[in-house]
Amino acid sequence: MPLLQAHNLFKTYRLGRVPVPVLRGVSLSVEKGEFLAVLGASGSGKSTLLHLLGGLDTPDAEPRGRIEFDGKDIAAGNLDGYRATSVGFVFQFYHLLPELTVLGNVLLAPMIARGPLGYLGSKAVAKAKATEVLAAVGLAHRLTHRPAELSGGERQRVAIARALMNDPPLLLADEPTGNLDRATGEKIMDELLAIRRARGLTMVVVTHDAEIAAKADRQIRLTDGRM
Amino acid sequence: MYQAVLTTTYLRSKIMPLLAAIGVALCTLMVLVTWSVMTGFLAMLINTGRTLAGDVSIGWPGSGFAYYDELIADLEKDPLVEAACPKIETFGSITPPGGRPKGVLVVGVDGPRFAKATRYESTIWWRPISTPLPKDKHRHDPRLGGLGASAWEAIYQNGLSLTRRDPKTGQSIPAMVPGIHVTGLNNRYREGYYKPLVSERRTSDGRTEIIDAFLPFDDDQPVGLTVFPIDSQGRPYEAHTRSLPVANEFQSGVYITDESLVLVNLAALQSMLKMNEGLRVADGSAPPSPTNGESFATPQPTKFVTDPARVTHVILRGKGGDGDIASARALRDRAMAVYDAFAKRHEGKVPPTSEMEFMTWEDQNATFINAVRTERTLMLFLFMIISLTAVLLVLSIFWSMVREKTQDIGVLRSMGASRAGVAWLWVSYGLAIGLVGAALGLAGSVLIIVNINPIHDWLGEALGIVVWDPRVYYFTQIPNTVDPLDAALVFVGGVLSCGLGAMVPALRAAWMSPVAALRNE
Repeated sequence: MPLLQAHNLFKTYRLGRVPVPVLRGVSLSVEKGEFLAVLGASGSGKSTLLHLLGGLDTPDAEPRGRIEFDGKDIAAGNLDGYRATSVGFVFQFYHLLPELTVLGNVLLAPMIARGPLGYLGSKAVAKAKATEVLAAVGLAHRLTHRPAELSGGERQRVAIARALMNDPPLLLADEPTGNLDRATGEKIMDELLAIRRARGLTMVVVTHDAEIAAKADRQIRLTDGRM
Repeated sequence: MYQAVLTTTYLRSKIMPLLAAIGVALCTLMVLVTWSVMTGFLAMLINTGRTLAGDVSIGWPGSGFAYYDELIADLEKDPLVEAACPKIETFGSITPPGGRPKGVLVVGVDGPRFAKATRYESTIWWRPISTPLPKDKHRHDPRLGGLGASAWEAIYQNGLSLTRRDPKTGQSIPAMVPGIHVTGLNNRYREGYYKPLVSERRTSDGRTEIIDAFLPFDDDQPVGLTVFPIDSQGRPYEAHTRSLPVANEFQSGVYITDESLVLVNLAALQSMLKMNEGLRVADGSAPPSPTNGESFATPQPTKFVTDPARVTHVILRGKGGDGDIASARALRDRAMAVYDAFAKRHEGKVPPTSEMEFMTWEDQNATFINAVRTERTLMLFLFMIISLTAVLLVLSIFWSMVREKTQDIGVLRSMGASRAGVAWLWVSYGLAIGLVGAALGLAGSVLIIVNINPIHDWLGEALGIVVWDPRVYYFTQIPNTVDPLDAALVFVGGVLSCGLGAMVPALRAAWMSPVAALRNE
């Protein structure tokens, strides 16, 4: 049974009064543990598709598309909960909170997912786990550093650790190496693949890098909002 | 939980929340300091305004009413009444030595009885004192030495009894106690004390004369008093002028009272106004001519009736100390009931209850108290506008912060933060700024209010800045009490204002699309 299914997704944005169709009837299916690469030129709708799959945005109401996670329509449930526990996001520009330390950024994930009482009840466990996840991405020595004190690769590793903190079955990455030099990008990608293998993660990566796409189990290409 | 972490982090790492907190602190401080001083000032004015008023007054202005001693006896039997005394209120004029006539409110009282029913005793200015006024650090107040304690004591007793010893006969003679500013012969100093004025005056014939008089002490400086008698039927007589010595002077704390009211020995004023007991030719003994309105010249037996002594007011003091407004109202109602029974006994001879004036101290000072209350309300209104400015300040700071942190909002939403959670993040951040600012403001204002007098003194001495000059303002000490309820209200108001100011940007953040937030640069 596929972990993630998208049926007939349309998405139109508006530039002033002008409707701009971005996705025009995309359907796809991602199996459990699969690594899917989404390729396409800039403006082809890759990121929009990823946002819809991750519940950050909703498809057009008409014609009505549907996204199922583990067989359930995500729109029928709590999208906030879905993002908190089922999906981990990795963005091209890391999106770390600059005022928080590395550890603080990673701990945000359990704080949001568990709520104040849940988090306070398991604070020590969460902290230990964050330290462990950060150690797994090679940042055990950077826990108290702030993002501004880290290199690009290190920042992306923090973002990965944050995405993995709540053990989501699905990892969605939007150009995860797009802001890094080639060597660092490759290294990050290898680390991601290693984590995926170790955790049995399902992974959807948006990229325009053919080399990264070549490492995926399957590739799909978007052109003008169509597969 | 993340809201608390981020709020704490933002508070420590940003300059803007610090500026907002300082703004809130200054607003809180300003409101609380001014509010406390104004409230203290109002309380002080109300208190001083009551000093000569008693708690309740029963009045029939003009011709006055008779049998007042019987009414007073009835009133003093009531368990709510501590003391009652007669009073006459009329208009007149005085002519100080070497001065020009001046219109005044003349009040006739029996000194000792008046002192029991009011706080008159505490208003008598010239008396022996051992402790100088708070600002009189160099002990310049003449009452501290000057004439000597026994002389001051004698002057004080004169004031209390409204009499003076006649230097020729050695007998007690009726006297007056004007307000300390009535004669214009006292100079008020910055430290709050008075000294008799030595000055030059131009007389009506163009000459210049030196006025060097201390009226309560000098034997040869009587003051001319002119009043306009009205008989029991309300008919005016010719003006009556008499010279009276000054027994003392009073300071009630209300400038208008101290500048225009003269207390006069009751018996003397009754006599001047023809309100004392006396024989009167009965009306109707000589019917008027139908042709020219003059009385018939034909002799008819003259009939005399005895007119009892009259006063215009009886003032009461309630039992149980200060007499707040609720007790004063209860006392007024009781006074009405007692007067009602009294009026029924003397039907036709005293005015009916419905015609009489029954006024509490608040009613008597209504114009004055309402003016100060209006000023205080106006000030509150102005502060509300200033507070609104503070809300707008917080709103604009938060608006720009939300813009600055838009990507963070997107990140939080991508991690599963709900709209309500994001809104609460900003509102709690606003409340935290309010809490810090209001706490700082509260602490600062308590420090300032408690030390406002030393601060004010220091400003005067070091920089020559005297905001509340006792020569102008009628108090030597600035009120320096913080009402805990007022402080709590201002504190909560400060915190809530910030929450309110943060609300709009918080809702904006909450309703932001996560994708748009993430793409924001």
